[in-house]
Amino acid sequence: MINLDILAQKMELRHICGSTDREICGCYAGDLLSWVMSHAEYGHIWITIMSNINVVAVASLCDVACVVLAEGVELDPDALEAATKQDICVFSSKLSTYELCTLVSKYINE
Amino acid sequence: MKDLSLYILDIAMNSVRAGAKNISILLNEENNVLTLRIEDDGCGMTEEQVEKLSNPFFTTRKTRKVGLGVPFLRMLSEMTGGKVTVTSRPEADFENHGTEVVATFHTDHIDFIPLGDVVETVVTLIQGNPDSDYVFRHKTDKLDVNMDTGEMRAILGDEVPLNAYEVLSFIKEFLRGQYENEN
Repeated sequence: MINLDILAQKMELRHICGSTDREICGCYAGDLLSWVMSHAEYGHIWITIMSNINVVAVASLCDVACVVLAEGVELDPDALEAATKQDICVFSSKLSTYELCTLVSKYINE
Repeated sequence: MKDLSLYILDIAMNSVRAGAKNISILLNEENNVLTLRIEDDGCGMTEEQVEKLSNPFFTTRKTRKVGLGVPFLRMLSEMTGGKVTVTSRPEADFENHGTEVVATFHTDHIDFIPLGDVVETVVTLIQGNPDSDYVFRHKTDKLDVNMDTGEMRAILGDEVPLNAYEVLSFIKEFLRGQYENEN
């Protein structure tokens, strides 16, 4: 377990919106939203390249700790509005999904 | 869900929840465009409700605050360069009330997810909701698969439900046979 705020700093993620005061207990990476919906779990950090409003809905449904948009992807404007309203924490990073996963793996149990 | 047929099931379940007596699932493939049309005679929706459909934070569900049936369908369709249109006539204002969802997909686009086992989708739908009637048609340049449970019911009478094991097995074989014959 690691605090999201601390992990985000270590991974040098760019904060977009939402509260960072959560504990991270795992990670899930994936882009097919219906699949993610049945596999991502509470407290996970979810890494994806998808950026539409459905991402916010899936994040809310699964109660993941945050969404990390890989490869410099930006949230769609309506998705940003929904994420802000629902207090879904979203970060962005220039790194690829794989690179982000390796960083999570490195820091999560520190 | 990696097959389009599972998303079709999801949308058709909306028709069931809308109290539809008749549900049609029509697939037409022409020049690399797949058009999916789901029609029902359920309670329908107001214009305001239809407008909000693509927003996943709008749902008629009471159990959770998120509804993803139409948003996912729209996303999958738009990812291939297609689009989704929903038209609806609410019960309060129309005698011929109901809803039509039309989605197009460019099947030659790399992000098009395969249709999958649509026969299984139809059978699953009937199994869970045997009191409605279903029309299914899948037309391509190679095949024209048709099914109408209204015709079956006329032969079976009122005594035999559509989800009787023998009826479901028949429907499955009936559809699979049509896919095999015309391929």
